[in-house]
Amino acid sequence: MLLPVFTLKLRHKISPRMVAVGRYDGTHPCLAAATQAGKVFIHNPHTRSQYFSAPRVSQSPLESDVSLLNINQAVSCLTAGVLNPELGHDVLLVGTQTNLLAYDVYNNSDLFYREVADGANAIVLGTLGDVASPLAIIGGNCVLQGFDHEGNDLFWTVTGDNVHSLALCDFDGDGKKELLVGSEDFDIRVFKEDEIVAEMTETEIITSLCPMYGSRFGYALSNGTVGVYDKTARSWRIKSKNHAMSIHAFDLNSDGVCELITGWSNGKVDARSDRTGEVIFKDNFSSAVAGVVEGDYRMDGHVQLICCSVDGEIRGYLPGTAEMRGNLMDTSMEQDLIRELSQKKQNLLLELRNYEENAKAELSGLPNEADGQRDVIPANTRLHTIFSVNLGSETQAAHTELCVSTSNDTIIRAVLIFAEGIFAGESHVVHPSIHNLSSSICVPVVPPKDVPVDLHLKAFVGYRSSTQFHVFELTRQLPRFSMYALTRPDSASEPISYVNFMITERAQRIALWLNQNFLLPEDTNIQNAPFQACFTSLRNGGHLCIKIKSSGEITINTDDIDLAGDIIQSMASFFAIEDLQVEADFPIYFEELRKVLIKVDEYHTVHQKLSADMADNSNLIRNLLVRAEDARLMRDMKTMKNRYMELYDLNKDLLNGYKIRCNNHTELLGNLKAVNQAIQRAGRLRVGKPKNQVITACRDAIRSNNINTLFRIMRVGTAPS
Amino acid sequence: MDLALNRADYLQVGVTSQKTMKLLPASKSRATQKVVIGDHDGVVTCFGMKKGEAVAVFKTLPGQKIARLELGGVLNTPQEKIFIAAGSEIRGFTKRGKQFLSFETNLTECIKAMHISGSDLFLSASYIYNHYCDCQDQHYYLSGDKINDVTCLPVERSPQITPVLACQDRVLRVLQGSDVMYEVEIPGPPSVLALHNGNGGDSGEDVLFGTSDGKLGLIQVTTSKPIHKWEIRNEKKRGGILCMDSFDIVGDGVKDLLVGRDDGMVEVYSFDSANEPILRFDQMLSESVTSIQGGCVGKDGYDEIVVSTYSGWVTGLTTEPTHKESGPGEELKINQEMQNKIACLRSELEHLQYKVLQERENYQQASQSSRAKTALSSISINDKFTLNKDDASYSLILEVQTAIDNVLIQSDVPIDLLDMDKNSAVVSFSSCDSESNDNFLLATYRCQANTTRLELKIRSIEGQYGTLQAYVTPRVQPKTCQVRQYHIKPLSLHQRTHFIDPDRPMNTLTLTGQFSFAEVHSWVVFCLPEVPEKPPAGECITFYFQNTFLDTQLESTYRKGEGVFKSDNISTISILKDVLSKEATKRKINLNISYEISEVSVKHTLKLIHPKLEYQLLLAKKVQLIDALKELQVHEGNTNFLIPEYRSILEEADHLQEEYKKQPAHLERLYGMITDLFIDKFKFKGTNVKTKVPLLLEILDSYDQNALIAFFDAA
Repeated sequence: MLLPVFTLKLRHKISPRMVAVGRYDGTHPCLAAATQAGKVFIHNPHTRSQYFSAPRVSQSPLESDVSLLNINQAVSCLTAGVLNPELGHDVLLVGTQTNLLAYDVYNNSDLFYREVADGANAIVLGTLGDVASPLAIIGGNCVLQGFDHEGNDLFWTVTGDNVHSLALCDFDGDGKKELLVGSEDFDIRVFKEDEIVAEMTETEIITSLCPMYGSRFGYALSNGTVGVYDKTARSWRIKSKNHAMSIHAFDLNSDGVCELITGWSNGKVDARSDRTGEVIFKDNFSSAVAGVVEGDYRMDGHVQLICCSVDGEIRGYLPGTAEMRGNLMDTSMEQDLIRELSQKKQNLLLELRNYEENAKAELSGLPNEADGQRDVIPANTRLHTIFSVNLGSETQAAHTELCVSTSNDTIIRAVLIFAEGIFAGESHVVHPSIHNLSSSICVPVVPPKDVPVDLHLKAFVGYRSSTQFHVFELTRQLPRFSMYALTRPDSASEPISYVNFMITERAQRIALWLNQNFLLPEDTNIQNAPFQACFTSLRNGGHLCIKIKSSGEITINTDDIDLAGDIIQSMASFFAIEDLQVEADFPIYFEELRKVLIKVDEYHTVHQKLSADMADNSNLIRNLLVRAEDARLMRDMKTMKNRYMELYDLNKDLLNGYKIRCNNHTELLGNLKAVNQAIQRAGRLRVGKPKNQVITACRDAIRSNNINTLFRIMRVGTAPS
Repeated sequence: MDLALNRADYLQVGVTSQKTMKLLPASKSRATQKVVIGDHDGVVTCFGMKKGEAVAVFKTLPGQKIARLELGGVLNTPQEKIFIAAGSEIRGFTKRGKQFLSFETNLTECIKAMHISGSDLFLSASYIYNHYCDCQDQHYYLSGDKINDVTCLPVERSPQITPVLACQDRVLRVLQGSDVMYEVEIPGPPSVLALHNGNGGDSGEDVLFGTSDGKLGLIQVTTSKPIHKWEIRNEKKRGGILCMDSFDIVGDGVKDLLVGRDDGMVEVYSFDSANEPILRFDQMLSESVTSIQGGCVGKDGYDEIVVSTYSGWVTGLTTEPTHKESGPGEELKINQEMQNKIACLRSELEHLQYKVLQERENYQQASQSSRAKTALSSISINDKFTLNKDDASYSLILEVQTAIDNVLIQSDVPIDLLDMDKNSAVVSFSSCDSESNDNFLLATYRCQANTTRLELKIRSIEGQYGTLQAYVTPRVQPKTCQVRQYHIKPLSLHQRTHFIDPDRPMNTLTLTGQFSFAEVHSWVVFCLPEVPEKPPAGECITFYFQNTFLDTQLESTYRKGEGVFKSDNISTISILKDVLSKEATKRKINLNISYEISEVSVKHTLKLIHPKLEYQLLLAKKVQLIDALKELQVHEGNTNFLIPEYRSILEEADHLQEEYKKQPAHLERLYGMITDLFIDKFKFKGTNVKTKVPLLLEILDSYDQNALIAFFDAA
């Protein structure tokens, strides 16, 4: 059994996911972690009595070998590592919602302190692609930014939604690192510098990512799932009712391959084999795990796995030695294996007995009336499922419907659907009251996003009075665009926004794509090109028209730019299109965007003005304070009182000002997010190279504040030369 | 706890009931003992361990489910005759497996409990107790509530035969002949009885009892009165007790108490010089421990605790060290044994898999024909639905002999389903359309592989009644699911008690009409938990209840044509009135309902609530402050500047938070009950005060006892 080689109990709380080990003086590894009240603590057990005394750093009053670093803002991400190779020691990087600080702990100096308007939700340090110097890459609201040690912004791109996790991993095996980005829209995107090379859709917000080995990487979701991907294919995943707080790759059993170490919200730490997900080690903390890192914390040449709990408990584990033969748990493996095999045997025996009983029941051939009591159903009972579009009624909104029915007089007691991402939880249950039982049940399904979803159905089939039911299990895939109902073409309601592009595919192939991705009535048959198909969205009643000309030109009319992007991406993957240039016009959306851009300018101005005001006020404070103290020394109590009253009023003003600043800032953030999303959306309308061109060009246009060029780029896909 | 025991699995048989495994006495001293176990398939298996392999001595043919297994024999000789109770029959086997006795009792119900001593046989079915001597009927007793276990003080040491019955109504009944000598009240429903030290202790009169809510105790049953020796409360909220044995596992010359619980906990208590029990060892197994005994099975010279579990595993917790600490040569040998065992199992599995595949194909083919039927095999499910007194919530425990795939929980009454930390299953709440389909709760539990036991906590609201259903799907092909139903009664938070405080101001509800004793009893069963379903003997009956949440009480006395219910809580009376009139109307019985309301009782109930409410409010306030205070502590470095009150909060922070976590929504529940009290008080006066409820909530928000009482008086 593997036991911790050291255990520490610090009297500071540790914020989840914000732990890093660094050699801030070049030799001694120290643990840095974010704690309460906008502080970062550095635990330095090696060089006692040597303390930094500077405005930022103070010694912790609670612990002798801990120093505290004042950030004065809630820390949102933290890491440590080599940012400047010439420096010879590690740098601590601390991100907040507005700033990024690169701090040299040893010299007690800032490498840089940059304002980042989009916030820093996640941070990763390392080399990216062909960029020579190490970069501190932060992910904020839809934006990725990379800084070198001087604070120069060497990398910038946008992504689909707020970034929650980042990792560097050699995804395509070319020896250079790619950037993995997990964001709030459930996507993991892989950036080869600023080009997206792969996109994987998950079922929840991706909270953590970690490189494992080669092209393998681990991920964790906010719903308690952890798993491992190899390139774009998922090797395994498990789901727990607890949340994975932190994941890390570490070779705990000394077999040369890293295991996925997960720290859970219930205080459990487990190590899972990267191939199978099998647990090879576990331990428990008394409170949630805040972070899992590694480092040679005892300075004996061996790297330990270091796990920290939110209450400040820290445990270090050395990898198991060869004699342990990978056997890290306390019960012997053989015992467990025997138990597992016996369980399997028992299951098989039970199944056999089931069949025997069945054979017996068949032979006896009981009369029908007794069937209900004996829970016997005809063996040829089949379950049919049909997807259809329900246009809704006065009491019910329009939705997609899954109808489940049996092939005879048996009834369906209940239907359970397990699917991720379309229900509030992971399952949806329909359980009719005893009076409403019948042989068919319709389940309304309203997927919130246009993604294909696998529905795992379990239907309990039996008779009215049964106390036991047969469980029919089957899996159905909900088409991607199931929330769109086919309607008659009607030029009057045709949206004015459109995208237009050329593909070289036969009409039959396009019809096949339509059939696979939309719920078309059975009698729909699509003749040769040209043809057009019109749909109405069940969510908001918006219209969608897809027109195919015999020349292979396709026009999609919709006011929903996201939908257009989804359709183009879906078509591109179906027809294996590598590059696609698209002409697009979304007048309504562009008009909104124009307003947003104007607003951004306004907020910027307000922000500057408020900052100036604040500077003025702080001067005034200094002034008043000095004068008040003067008065006190002169024993002029009346003046002193007046000065302090003024000071109090000023303080109130400042507080109000701060509130305004806060509001202004959130508004600004929201609008900036909208702008970033617009760029991302414009990119999604194209495929391959044109897509990257659009994103880069848009960014340049925003930098040069050229709004008209921006819209032109979004329309035609290239910058005017 | 210096006791270290290592787990070794021996054999798996079918599903087992409580107290169905015994160790046969060793033939020579210090030789290994044989295990004998009876399962639900009716098979008695006797086996010994040879070189780490289970070697069967004998195995009987399948038959009726075995409810109990005991050893017996002529007094003062080795007790090595095996007796089993299956259905209404008692069978006896020699230790070689030869059947020497088959005794068909005249009981109409299945035998639930058995005790054997020499030629005396003590049996009990659900409500009936019978004593036989040499298979001749001697004595008979009909109990008022279910009998869970039976034992008898050692015959050789006492002048007369003194059987003791453990009855569900929290009473041990000590008999003499066919009559009750006296009743012993104990703190929970007893589930198991055992003689202390296996022989009744020094006096020969000491009886151990274990309750289904996890309490343990020792009582000396003297000829005149019971003497309570000690009691262990269930502080850690562990499972109910299923089996006990006395055996010196610690090796200090004093027999220790071994305890098996229904949550898989095995515990060892040893006794100090004052004969008080101390917990020395505990280990968690994954499923209910149905039988426990100390002895020596695995290896000569090493004592061990042998347990059997619900799904039929016989497991030893042995003092033999694991192979890691033994010599290098030995380790290899043990490994070799293990390897053989694994290889053997694997080949067995392969064979089975092939057979199953064939059968599966046959099944598929058979299902093509239109005449064929598919029946369901019943996989046994062990369930328990009980009220916890400590936090006034119900716990539902489901245990299946094989792994559970998923469980669907459905309820047609509003209840709160709380997740338990020890469950690993992923719970998901589904939206439900309550109007059309009577669903107030739909939740699925998707279990991880190898989960055989699931525990849920449910909070009910008094006055809201209906049914909770659990659809359990085990992970066995062809997949089937079983439904279990649990009634949430109108007065769901009430618990039976033995006495009530007669000085409290009481409200009275009187029913008169043309109804039989059985009818009025069925209404009481419908309204209140822990009432025997069978109408008790006698013309008039009185039950006492206590509200586990508020500690208010209820007395119900009824006979043919009349029922009187008295409670100091006006809401209890109001609920009873509503439910009873509804039930009577349903059955078209003309009922006269009259009530006497005592104004003082409302004030009295509020006073009962007051300390609870005040405690909760204070706790909530303190917990709210903890984080802020901790931050201050980090800022300032010490706590000297804080006032003592805040300093004490910081010192007790962990304890406070734990306390707060233990009782989620406690405050909301108290508010709800005060609101009910308010509405009910005025309902009896004929005024509807629902409009004033927001005002009441406002007063509660800034709680002050006098203001609240004044509001109740004024409104």
